[in-house]
Amino acid sequence: MDLSLLFAQALSGLSRGMMLFLIASGLSLIFGVMNILNFAHATLWLVGAYACYTFWFLLQTHDFAVWLAIPLAALSVGLVGWVIEVVLIRRVYDRELPEQLLLTYALVLILGDLIKITWGVDDKLIARPAMLSEPVYIAGVPIDSYFIFVIAVGFAVYLALWWFLQKTRYGHIVRAAVFSREMVSALGIPIPIIYTGVFVLGIFIAGLAGAIQGPVGSVTLGMDMAVVIQAFCVVIIGGFGSLPGTMVSSIIVGEVYAFSILFWPGGALALIFILTAIVLIVRPWGLFGTPLRA
Amino acid sequence: MRTKSLLCLAAVLAVCLTLVSGGMTQARAGEPYNLGAALAITGTGALYCQDGVDAIKLAVEEINAKGGFLGQHPIKLYIRDTHTKPDSAVRATRDLILRDKVRTVLGTYSSACAVAIKPVCLEYKVLHIPAISNSEGITLTNFSPYTYQVVPNSYMQAKAVVLGVAALAKKKGWKTFATIASDYEWGRSTQQNTVALLKQLAPDLKLIKEFWPPLGETQFTSYITAIMAQKPDFVIGSIASKDNVAWMKQAKAYGFFKKIPYPGSLISVTELILQAKTLDRGLVGLCRAPFFAHMDVPMMANFVKAFKKKYNRYPSDWAVMEYDAVYGLKQGIEKAKSIDSAKVKDALKGATIDTTRGKLYFRDIDNQLSCSSYLGVVADDPQYPFPIYHDLVEVKGPDSWRPEKEIIAARAAEKKK
Repeated sequence: MDLSLLFAQALSGLSRGMMLFLIASGLSLIFGVMNILNFAHATLWLVGAYACYTFWFLLQTHDFAVWLAIPLAALSVGLVGWVIEVVLIRRVYDRELPEQLLLTYALVLILGDLIKITWGVDDKLIARPAMLSEPVYIAGVPIDSYFIFVIAVGFAVYLALWWFLQKTRYGHIVRAAVFSREMVSALGIPIPIIYTGVFVLGIFIAGLAGAIQGPVGSVTLGMDMAVVIQAFCVVIIGGFGSLPGTMVSSIIVGEVYAFSILFWPGGALALIFILTAIVLIVRPWGLFGTPLRA
Repeated sequence: MRTKSLLCLAAVLAVCLTLVSGGMTQARAGEPYNLGAALAITGTGALYCQDGVDAIKLAVEEINAKGGFLGQHPIKLYIRDTHTKPDSAVRATRDLILRDKVRTVLGTYSSACAVAIKPVCLEYKVLHIPAISNSEGITLTNFSPYTYQVVPNSYMQAKAVVLGVAALAKKKGWKTFATIASDYEWGRSTQQNTVALLKQLAPDLKLIKEFWPPLGETQFTSYITAIMAQKPDFVIGSIASKDNVAWMKQAKAYGFFKKIPYPGSLISVTELILQAKTLDRGLVGLCRAPFFAHMDVPMMANFVKAFKKKYNRYPSDWAVMEYDAVYGLKQGIEKAKSIDSAKVKDALKGATIDTTRGKLYFRDIDNQLSCSSYLGVVADDPQYPFPIYHDLVEVKGPDSWRPEKEIIAARAAEKKK
């Protein structure tokens, strides 16, 4: 097989992986720090896509419509995340996992209905920016230019999160909270504020991912259910709370999916679940997680 | 004496029972006709179903303006969401039948849903009219006399594509092809029918790879690059609704359609309208009931006018077929002179009905309407604010449906199992 075509497949796998990373990084961060398994994460991602549609619709006469709609949508969803954390999530920090899951699943249903009431049931289409509507050629291979943008945003978010977690005082506190929230609390650091900040950041990234997804196809109800399981697979493989783990596992999942489509089209999804099952059995804390949290 | 009393009592009971059962089936004048629609209000199929629901509402309004069915049974419409999931569709259908007491269920979007609710409708002797879902399995096997299909089924659509593609392959010297189809009942059955028919009509063509994206796929990039890696001479696609929008949008961004011919994919009026600005002109597409193909039929012209007036947009294929479903039911009721579902079912058997697509008839063996499939070249038209099909080829139902002997054989094989 032509090497350039394998390269194209690898790039398409990378773009898929980056999209998954954008969804899963917030999920992993929230679970890693707060021990909250947010089943509604993908639904908030969908809210981001719808919010992007609204801002794009309002600005569509301008060339910069999508470029402005994406950050505005992410900020709006971050705000929604803040409300959810203050009103609901902080009340279940000390509850058992099944109770948290029930609450966040209820959120999936509530948000789904709110989306229906706000945006209706018909699909929404967001036109791509003109500069990203034509393919670019790398080594003679056509690549969807929008996915080059997705890959760039994925790496940018990774670097920004890495810088935040590794190089800032607030990031150090968040990392410390992953391992021992009691110790962090004993040092006089207000854990609830840390938690709110982390939750809003995680949801902001989900909103950003949703907004970026908007122009890829159409925005429609039920899209969240198609991605939530894959996002969970990424987090399980990478290790809850591990940023490098989420990045590496996103790329693994994206590439496994892409190359299995090339060589075993019927088994693409199955391979990802097999991989997840193997990691759960052999290394339950994930490739980059630590047994401490397992 | 005692025997005589018992006989009298039995006779009275028998009369009572007859009256009660008669009262149950004999509809009174003015009694509403409860009509159910099990459609995908949310989920993958919502894009198509919204138009279908609007068309059903329009038809119901028109008929009710004249007093309802038979001029004396106003229609009460009950709409339930199948969420494009078979289990949910079965629940919705049972609710429609048991709680809302509907006599007919219109729907569904997903063929898997249609196949799932067919036995439920049969069990309760309720008419079932699929007008969007079109897997051949709905009428081919496990036949239900209560199910009437008003959409060209997957075999008919595949045959229409194949007739067009076989001619193109001969003309252009194509040798190899790949397929991409959504991984569920409709996608699978359409793909299998297309491949089987292509083998018959163009045995030299070689299928080099099949791709099965899951229903609800949002990112097709890996499929697009994988297909391009295979370098087929052409690709046949069976992807519908929002998945189709995502696929077309992303494939276009890869320059896919400029590199690999993609003839006969489903490009319904929905896609023509939604992707008016971005759809590649010159694509050879397939659709099921384009209104612009039959503007010479008064019923279609009136429908388009009324739909446009009420909803300020043009009707899609899905709207046309759901509208035909309601009017087909109306004609069945008029022929039966009753709203009793068993009688309407018998009246529709082999019946010729007036539809927006002209006079069509239900085939006896499978209750499939003799409706056409349409192939054409996507092109701009000054009459409409979106592209339509030019060089439209209408493949008539009787020219494209499965021969009766094959249906008999399929049912015999089913019985052996």
